Amino acid sequence: MIRTGANIVIESLCRNHVETVFGYPGGAVLPIYDELYKNQHRIDHILCAHEQNAVHAADGYARISRRPGVVIATSGPGASNLVTGIATAYLDSVPLVIITGNVNASLLGRDSFQELDITGVTRPIVKHNFTVTSVRELAGVMDAAFRIALEGRRGPVLIDIPKSIQCDSCSEKNYCSPLYFTHPLRQPDLTAAVSALKDAARPLIYAGGGVVAACAFHELESLAEHLDAPVVFSMMGLSAMSCDHPKNAGMCGMHGTAASAELLDKCDLLLALGVRFSDRAAGDPEKFRKNKRIIHIDIDHSELNKNVTVDMGIRGELKETLTRVLELLPRQSRPLWHDFLEKVKGTPRPCEKKSLVPQNLFATVAEYCGPDCAVATDVGQHQMWTMHHYPFRRSGALLTSGGLGTMGYGLGAAIGASIAQGGKRVVLFTGDGSFGMSLQELATAVTYRLPLLIVICNNGVLGMVRQWQTMFFRKRYSCSTLNRQTDFPALARAFGAEGQKITTLEELKAALSHLPADRPLVLDCRLDQDEFALPMIPPGGSVEDMITQKEF
Amino acid sequence: METFTVELITVNNCGVLHHIAGIFAKCRLNIETLDLKPLPEGLSRMRITLRGDRTLRTHLLRLLSKLYDVKSAAQIK
Repeated sequence: MIRTGANIVIESLCRNHVETVFGYPGGAVLPIYDELYKNQHRIDHILCAHEQNAVHAADGYARISRRPGVVIATSGPGASNLVTGIATAYLDSVPLVIITGNVNASLLGRDSFQELDITGVTRPIVKHNFTVTSVRELAGVMDAAFRIALEGRRGPVLIDIPKSIQCDSCSEKNYCSPLYFTHPLRQPDLTAAVSALKDAARPLIYAGGGVVAACAFHELESLAEHLDAPVVFSMMGLSAMSCDHPKNAGMCGMHGTAASAELLDKCDLLLALGVRFSDRAAGDPEKFRKNKRIIHIDIDHSELNKNVTVDMGIRGELKETLTRVLELLPRQSRPLWHDFLEKVKGTPRPCEKKSLVPQNLFATVAEYCGPDCAVATDVGQHQMWTMHHYPFRRSGALLTSGGLGTMGYGLGAAIGASIAQGGKRVVLFTGDGSFGMSLQELATAVTYRLPLLIVICNNGVLGMVRQWQTMFFRKRYSCSTLNRQTDFPALARAFGAEGQKITTLEELKAALSHLPADRPLVLDCRLDQDEFALPMIPPGGSVEDMITQKEF
Repeated sequence: METFTVELITVNNCGVLHHIAGIFAKCRLNIETLDLKPLPEGLSRMRITLRGDRTLRTHLLRLLSKLYDVKSAAQIK
C-alpha cells in the first residue's frame, strides 16, 4: 500500500496506541493536520492556545496515564515555543513524543521562512531526536521514538519532519528502520545490599520520582514495613505513599519537614530509591552523607555517585529490583527506631486559625475534592505549601515541575491530566505570578468542558522571590511586588469559566460546595504577602540551620 | 588531573558529533584532540582526548554511553 509521510505519522501513532495528541497547527504541519482531520474518529486532537502549554498538557497526560504524551507543532516559532516544556519533561523524566514540522528538505539551512534547527536547539534537553531525511525511514523513526521515550529512564523524544517528507509517498514494503542502540539492563547483584539492610540499626528509605515513574508504590510500602523503617521523600516522590501511612515522614530537603531532617541526621543507613540527590533535596553533599552508609538504586547509572558519593550504587529497574530485595529480606522489627519516628513526627494539630492561611486553605480544598483528585501545582511558595499541607492519598497523582521549576506549568498539566482521566476534576494550586504566565489556556479548559478547580494563592507578590529577598537580601524587594490590578474572577468569566474572589475560610467552603461539573472554577484566594513557606534550610545548610519560625 | 582518551563507536549521522560535543560542554570539559573515522555498517569511530580526574571520567563515560547514537564508550590507553 502506498502511504504519504503524513499518513505514516497517523498510522504510527495509532499503532503505538495513541488516542490523544496536543498541539497547534501551522504551515509546516498542514499535511499532518489534514490526515488528523481524516482520522478524527481514531485520534483526538486537543487544540491549545500556546505550544508551551500543549507540551505541559502532554506532560500532565503522560504523568497520570503512564503513556507517552504526544505533541504536534509547526516549524520556527511553533517549535521554539516547545523548548521550555520539553526541558521540563526532560528534567522530570516524563515520556513525550514531540512531532515538529519543518520547511521543505530543499530549503533546510537557507534561513527560510519559519525555519529553525529545532533538533540542534533541543539536543541537550531530549533523550534523543530525529530529523527525518526520507519518507522510507519515517515509520521506523516513529516506532523508535516511542520505544526510546519509554525505555529505561523515560524522557522526551523529538521528531522533526520536513514538509516535503510529509508529502512524499512510499510503499510499506520499502520501509527501513533507523540504526540506534538500546541499553538493556542486567540483573543487579543485591546480596550485599540486603546484608547491609539487615545489619542496619536505623535504616531510612528515601524515595524519589523514580518510585512514581516505576509505579513501585506497593513495593515501597512493603519494604518500609519489612524493614520497619521510616520513609522520607523528595518532592517528586511525595505522592508515592499515602500521607496516612505510619511510616511516612514527609518531604525532605530545603523545604522538608523537621521530622525528615531529624531522621536523615540520625539514620545509619540510607536506602535511596529513584532519586538524584538534587541540591534542593540533599543540600551540601558532604554534610548529607555524614555518619551514614548510602545504598542508591536507580535505573540510570549516570545518577549513581553523580551528586553524592554512595557506598553501593545499583543500576536497576525499581519495581523489579525491590521485588527481589523483598524476596531476600526477612521481616524485621526496630522498636527503638520506630519510637524515634513517632517522637519526631509528633501529633499533627489541625489549624485553629479562622482567617484564610495556607495551613487551612489546602486542607479545606482537599476535604471537598476527595482523596482521588489529582493535584497540579505551579512553582513558588504555593508549591511548597501544597507539599506541606495537602494530604496526598492517591499514588502518583501529583503533577509539579521539580527539576526545571517552570512557572506556568500547572494549567497545561492540569488540562492534560483531566483529559487523561476522561474529563475528571483536577485541582490546580497556583500563584498570581505563575497563573499570569499561562492563563490563556483557560480558553482550552472551557472549550473541552474540563472541571478544573484553580486555586490562586494571590498575595500580590512573587512570593518565593520575596521570601528570599527578606531572608538573604535584607528586604531589598527588587521587582518582586506585582502591583497589578488583575481581576482574576472577571478574567475567568471572560474566558467562559467561573470565578470568585475568596477572602475568608467561610467563603472558600461556600465556593467549594458548588463546584461546576463542566467548566473551570477560578478561586482568587487572598493571602498575606509576608506569609512564608517554612520550614526552610538555607542553601548549603543542615538540620541545625533549619528555620521553623518567621524571624524577619 | 590527567590527560586521557575516550573512544566512541557511534552511528555515522549528522548531528551525532554535535550531541557528543554538547555532553562535553555540559560537563565544562575542553576537547583537546578529536579523531574521526568512518567504519563499515553505517558506524563511526571517534577518539577524543581531554583532561580530567577519575570521577569526572567515570561520569562522562556514563553520560556518553546513554546516548542512543553511541554503541560503545570506553577509555583507551
